[in-house]
Amino acid sequence: MRKYWQIAKGRMQENTAYSAWYWAGTVSAVMRLLIIYFFWQAVYANQTTIQNINLETMLTYIVIAMLLQGFVGGVGNELAENIKDGQVAIQLMRPYDMIFKLFAVDVGSKIMYLIQGTIPMVLIAYFFMDLSFPKSPETIILFALSALIGIWIGTFFDFLVGVLAFWTVNVWGVRVLKESLITFFSGALVPITLFPDWLRIITEFLPFQAMVYLPVSIYSGLITGTEAYMALGIQLFWLVSLYVLVRVIWTQAIKQITIFGG
Amino acid sequence: MRRYTRLYWEFAKSHMKVMMEYRIDFLIGVFSVMLEQFASIFFVKVVFDHIEQINGWSFYEILFIYGIAATGRSIHQIFFDNLWTLGWQYIRPGKLDRLLIRPVNPLFHVVADRLHQDGFGQLIIGLIILGTAIPQLDLVWGAAEIGMLVIMIISSGLIFVAINLFFATFSFWMIDSLPIVWAVFNMSDFARYPLTIYHKGIRMFLTWVVPYGFTAFYPAAYFIDKSGYKEFALWTPVAAIVCCVIAYAFWNRGLKAFASTGS
Repeated sequence: MRKYWQIAKGRMQENTAYSAWYWAGTVSAVMRLLIIYFFWQAVYANQTTIQNINLETMLTYIVIAMLLQGFVGGVGNELAENIKDGQVAIQLMRPYDMIFKLFAVDVGSKIMYLIQGTIPMVLIAYFFMDLSFPKSPETIILFALSALIGIWIGTFFDFLVGVLAFWTVNVWGVRVLKESLITFFSGALVPITLFPDWLRIITEFLPFQAMVYLPVSIYSGLITGTEAYMALGIQLFWLVSLYVLVRVIWTQAIKQITIFGG
Repeated sequence: MRRYTRLYWEFAKSHMKVMMEYRIDFLIGVFSVMLEQFASIFFVKVVFDHIEQINGWSFYEILFIYGIAATGRSIHQIFFDNLWTLGWQYIRPGKLDRLLIRPVNPLFHVVADRLHQDGFGQLIIGLIILGTAIPQLDLVWGAAEIGMLVIMIISSGLIFVAINLFFATFSFWMIDSLPIVWAVFNMSDFARYPLTIYHKGIRMFLTWVVPYGFTAFYPAAYFIDKSGYKEFALWTPVAAIVCCVIAYAFWNRGLKAFASTGS
């Protein structure tokens, strides 16, 4: 009897390991919502608008940006692991394009994340924080399109960071570096229009704003009309450029391991 | 005690050698942690470009809270970072069993197994933040105040350590409690801002249940009179000691439970 109980217990431990991560993620996200909510309430305690943005629009922006940022990662981590433990050599021999294979894995996990992570969060945010919906269906379509492009830009960028594992051992450090660059320049923390001028101009020449700031601004109505279409154009430019870069660097990297492999 | 000091020194020496071997990676680590901190401070700065104060706290006062938390955390990150890995590096692969038969305290061994390079970035940025904030605060700094600041920062670090130790201990029962440790650790983000901006329930929680309030806000409030928490803040070192005692007792219990299930 005792050994069967041990088996049952083993399975229970395995299951809790997975669901523990899920709950930990959810709890952390709820806490971030709370911090955002109380922080901005306190900021707006003495004024009604900041740069013509009122509290409701600001909260909408920040929360949507936070949710979108959750999708801006990618497969860099997995790629780095594969490179570290040499798996990459085996993967390369298999009859598929390794880049597409990794992206497919990524799409799968993002869909799961959307269902399990984002939708509950959206419900909590809408019920407890009074967020606003976009006014017109056109805005919703533009946002969906823009968000999708932004996510892919983020995925490509993450891939590029993952490839660095060919050259550095401290993968963790590089990841933190990447996370902070994105948090800093993507407008995930605060709309870029609030930045001081010199920094805003720098930011406009970087790909990061195309990941979060542009889609979320379309959603919350900070960017409207022709400007919204312009924003999509900028995003497309980055999407194509980064994809080309991914291909070029990957080819270089492969050459390098082929040399190592002899 | 002397034996442990010597042992730790031996451990640390070998870590240093490794670190110097991978110098670029060391720098990447330090630099990335600094940038991470800098990003969140920059966020506060951008917001303060458009407003005067948050709940009566000026930019430099919030920076001061932040600096205490960052410096305190660096103590935790440099010396005790290995607690994060208790589940997946020690218990799951069975490495802990090997430690248990050695003639040293297992907790000491786990902790001494790693000296985390990236924590130095945290320490540097923490000191820079404190150095920026303090001259702007309009406080009188004598030897007593500086001594108090050091005590507060050490207490802050010990609370970070105790909370991580407490939740890492759950690994003895569930193999790897990393998700819990991570989720709880994220609560320390609350402590970046004055606790007075939050709902009363959150404030109570961060004071009495998971006392991250003592890692930053209360220590800072000791120096900033108008906060009204000057006296209460004096409990910070006591809170740190109590937390450590509870966490260590819990660790010992976990260790016992773990040892007795072994085959």
